[in-house]
Amino acid sequence: MSTTEVRQAQRAERLNWRIRLRRDRTLLIMTVPTVVLLLVFNYAPLFGLVTAFQYYDPLIGVWHSEWAGLDQFKRLLDDPVFWEAMRNTLYLSFVQLILFFPIPIALALLLNTVVSERIRNFFQSIVYLPHFFSWVLTITIFQQMLGGAGVLNHFLRAHDIGTWDIMTNPHTFALLVTSQAVWKEAGWGIIVFLAALSAINSEMYEAAAVDGAGRWRRMWHITLPGLRGVVVLMLVLRLGNALSVGFEQFLIQRAPVGHEAADVLDTFSFYYGISTNDYGYGAAAGLFKSVISLLLIWGANKLAHAFGEDGLYRK
Amino acid sequence: MSNELNRRDFVGKAAAVAGVAAMAPLLSACGDGGHQQTGGNSASGLKKALPAYLPSTSLKPDIPSVSNGPDVASDPGFLRYPSQHPATVSGVPGKGGKYTAVTPLWGTVPPPGNSFFQAMNKALGIDLTIKSADGNNYATIVPTMTAAKRLPDWIQLPTWWNSTFNVGRLTGSQLADLTPYLSGDKIKKYPNLAAIPSGAWQAGVWGNKLYGLPGGSTKFSVAGTTFYRRDILEAKGITSDDVKSADDLMNLGKELTDAKRGVWAFDQVWTYLFSFWDVPPTWRIEDGKLVHKYELPQFLEALDWHHKLATAGYMHPDALANTPADTRFYSGKVLISGGGTGIWHLADHKAGTAANKNYRRDAFNIFAADGRSRPATFMGGSTSIMSYLNAKLKPSQIEELLEVANYLAAPYGSREYTMVKFGVEGVHYTMKNGVPTATDAGKKYVQPTTYGFLVEPPAVISNQGADVVTKDYTAWQAANVKALYKPVFWNMNISMPQAMATAQAAQTVEDTIGDCTRGKKKVSDVQAAIASWKSSSGERLKRWMTDNVLDKYGTGQ
Repeated sequence: MSTTEVRQAQRAERLNWRIRLRRDRTLLIMTVPTVVLLLVFNYAPLFGLVTAFQYYDPLIGVWHSEWAGLDQFKRLLDDPVFWEAMRNTLYLSFVQLILFFPIPIALALLLNTVVSERIRNFFQSIVYLPHFFSWVLTITIFQQMLGGAGVLNHFLRAHDIGTWDIMTNPHTFALLVTSQAVWKEAGWGIIVFLAALSAINSEMYEAAAVDGAGRWRRMWHITLPGLRGVVVLMLVLRLGNALSVGFEQFLIQRAPVGHEAADVLDTFSFYYGISTNDYGYGAAAGLFKSVISLLLIWGANKLAHAFGEDGLYRK
Repeated sequence: MSNELNRRDFVGKAAAVAGVAAMAPLLSACGDGGHQQTGGNSASGLKKALPAYLPSTSLKPDIPSVSNGPDVASDPGFLRYPSQHPATVSGVPGKGGKYTAVTPLWGTVPPPGNSFFQAMNKALGIDLTIKSADGNNYATIVPTMTAAKRLPDWIQLPTWWNSTFNVGRLTGSQLADLTPYLSGDKIKKYPNLAAIPSGAWQAGVWGNKLYGLPGGSTKFSVAGTTFYRRDILEAKGITSDDVKSADDLMNLGKELTDAKRGVWAFDQVWTYLFSFWDVPPTWRIEDGKLVHKYELPQFLEALDWHHKLATAGYMHPDALANTPADTRFYSGKVLISGGGTGIWHLADHKAGTAANKNYRRDAFNIFAADGRSRPATFMGGSTSIMSYLNAKLKPSQIEELLEVANYLAAPYGSREYTMVKFGVEGVHYTMKNGVPTATDAGKKYVQPTTYGFLVEPPAVISNQGADVVTKDYTAWQAANVKALYKPVFWNMNISMPQAMATAQAAQTVEDTIGDCTRGKKKVSDVQAAIASWKSSSGERLKRWMTDNVLDKYGTGQ
């Protein structure tokens, strides 16, 4: 390409950019409130991260607190309790990935096969409902049903069968919290998959049926490939959030099973940072977690692109 | 219902939230310890700062107080609200000044400028705007005000947040020194304030200077105790006198637990029971040296007993799962439960008798775990409600507000007390069977803790309509007043550097203790946690406490 050609191309591009701006003006204006919201509530508070490098004292504020450099991080990396929380977080995340993640997909596929709209709506409402319960309520229901004095154990005791410790057993805690999460959130999780399913062209099913493809063949060759993009996107997001397994659920159940089983990174920040006025330390733990999460989401996104999927954005 | 009870209700809840922390010395953390005094008091400095104590004699209680030395006594009991309301303040205390006060409120915030506030302003002779802030968010609201140096003229800072609010530093800069107005005999100008016991004032002294005005105070400052269902235990022939040692108590576990019927003997008891093993709140002096409670062999014995209790199957499974206890106690699913003394009042009686008409709460007498030593338990801070005046106020303004404080501190049953707690007769309350009963306007506008959280007279026990509660509670206090002792650094304010406050909180150890008392961890796990705490920060904490507090100020007694 000659220099003039390059210049022309650049000018065209610039022009192109201006034209696009004019064309999309309305849409862009519509995003402004969200952008402002993001700036004010998500980006501006990032400034507070500076406390992770300080011996932060809320009374004298960020500007006057003593500078700690990387001391808080050094303390963090030397703290066995922190690593325990890290281990718990990763383990719980892994268990949830294996046991929780496929369930909304299966549910969505199941719902999709229901022909009667009334039955489908009814079923959908039922599985959505627990999402709107708070964790306190969810755990109370579990306690009332499965707790040491709950319905199940009361029955076992009355028939001299011996009791089954579910709610306060640290060894099966991961399964407990995962089943709670499934009960509460799996129904809500199907929304995005149902949307993807409805986007699949129904003519493809008809054509396949005409060609003699059975129910399973159609699911394998049409439904699942149609869902693949969304599944990968959700997986990328899930991996990015691997270090955020929840907070209230663990806060409430920390005492029953003991802190060694229930401390995750978020509760660690709370108990060892905020509740002992050690704000800088809590902030350091939070920042550490965010950086790792960012790396995870970046890696997962790369992986998605490597497999030819969109991931978070189209390359 | 007596409004005094509301405060107790709140203090009980707060104590439950703050747990044992409420019983520790009144801590305050500071970021850079080097630049600041520790806030402690020497015995002689304290003596100079403290106001004289002149108890009120204007009303005679139905059940008199039983005392054990100048600082320890049971609260007096009133079975009826006094029919005569003697005046303790002559004229109007204020001179028309305009002020703002901020207090926390756990409840519905009354609308500003309502008829009760107007009536109070008229009675006080000032234009006082009370801004009630949501108690649940209070800990986050106050630091923004102090950081901007924009405190109101009068503010309440609950002592369990001394550390969060960094009161130790505020006293040097933003809060007014009241020593020149109140110390020694100067307080005689304000007779109702002079009737507040010395222990409560002591909790308002920082660095040998008096800053705080105490809210509800008591000479029987025990944060909590071990309750039992007297109606059910009595039916089985068990009385408080049968429990004289930890073994006796453990034996009740076997006797009372009937899991098949869904009844377990115990709820959680650790928080208010461990002191019976001769364990101090935090520190003790042995051979002139500080010893932390974690280092005491009897602390491990106490832990061992509680671990056994949890694993023996005598504790309700929901208690092991750490869910709230009240309904279990009311429904008789648990029969013995630890709890803040604030619960022992009319509202509890109403809730309990609604579940079972025979419901009766009582507490075991304080005993020594071994059954042989002298029964003893430590006292906590004499008050947890402390208000402060702004340092920017002029002396004449401070004097005016102290006159107002004197009005607010008028004793139970007096004309002023009735006004502060119930409002104007005929408007906010009417007398029904000798009990001041709130009208609709009263229910809406008169929140007894609005002014009570600034200054309040010493506590009395009174539960109109439930004499059994007043009688049981006063009898329990009277029977146990001899068992109370003042721990090291009692009522002393200590400002610590951040790292020391974190060490003092000992979160990992406290977590492991909780796990141990719920049967999840062994005593040896706690020992390991203590050992690691000691080497990482515990020993440093002890050195700091020795150098900066013990060597400088002594034990504060």
